[in-house]
Amino acid sequence: MAEISKTQIDRLGERLKESIISDDDLRLLDNYRRSFAEGYEITVDKIRKKLGLNPTGRPAKSTASIIDKLRRESIRLTQMQDIAGCRIVVPDITRQDHVVTIIKDYFDNVRVVDRRENPSYGYRAVHLIIKCSGKIIEVQVRTSLQHLWAEISEKISDKDPMVKYGGGNKKIVAFLDRLSKLFYNTDLNEYKAAALTLENNLPQELRRGFEEYHAKAISLKEQAVELCTEIRVELEKDTGGLNDFLDSI
Amino acid sequence: MIFLIQYDRSSGRIVKMQTFKNSERQKANNSRLAIELELNQQCIEHEVVLLEAENEAALRKTHRRYFEDLRELTKSLAGSL
Repeated sequence: MAEISKTQIDRLGERLKESIISDDDLRLLDNYRRSFAEGYEITVDKIRKKLGLNPTGRPAKSTASIIDKLRRESIRLTQMQDIAGCRIVVPDITRQDHVVTIIKDYFDNVRVVDRRENPSYGYRAVHLIIKCSGKIIEVQVRTSLQHLWAEISEKISDKDPMVKYGGGNKKIVAFLDRLSKLFYNTDLNEYKAAALTLENNLPQELRRGFEEYHAKAISLKEQAVELCTEIRVELEKDTGGLNDFLDSI
Repeated sequence: MIFLIQYDRSSGRIVKMQTFKNSERQKANNSRLAIELELNQQCIEHEVVLLEAENEAALRKTHRRYFEDLRELTKSLAGSL
């Protein structure tokens, strides 16, 4: 495969922002994505075989997602860090921290982007940006709740991509924002409760602390369930804007 | 296992899903490009993506959006209580 220059790729990115895409541009984009194959294979293989984790790999970002990102952000195609990568979903923050640590310690060239406390439009996760064979490979590590939020947000964004970035239907944006905070606090309280259970012969005061964090986590999750129910009821009763907007998602 | 998914965002549904062995990555990539070219000629905007997972169950866990609708996603939380 002939080497593609950075200029060629960035010019391609400019053309992809326009509405008409030629077959030649699709082929060039395909070549560019395939150039990530070696870095992707080495990284994901190590994560699977050396670290014993079970990620779902995505060797190449879809054309639709690349175009969306180019049109949405002032970013050049060569600057995109998530062309190739993989995703790992773990039950909670304790295991998320563990997975992040073992990946960070195993690879030489890693940058950690922790979006848990300061989310990006409600999106929380830890991303590890690994440089391998001259390419950037993105590893997403999410807790189950962070992941559920991201899937709900993505699903809604299928209809209105702006919702994912704080625009679009205000009711939906407010719902996603509230849900993200509830999930974050649920994860955090479960994490604090789990940290206390590591203590042997937990003194009564700490046991009380554990029970409080645990109860708080359950209560927050119940609130999240109620919130999800509210939005579903809204969807089912509203024959106007909201339901039309979300119909068939 | 490699999964080639053609997904229609406007209906929120998978149009087509093909599977390939891990050793068939090249073939899967070629199929992805062929679908993209065909859709482009027909002016159809579908998302075409290649994903690699141990099996379909693992894929359904990490990429739920392709398989579940919004009602299923929002209902699933109650089950974890």
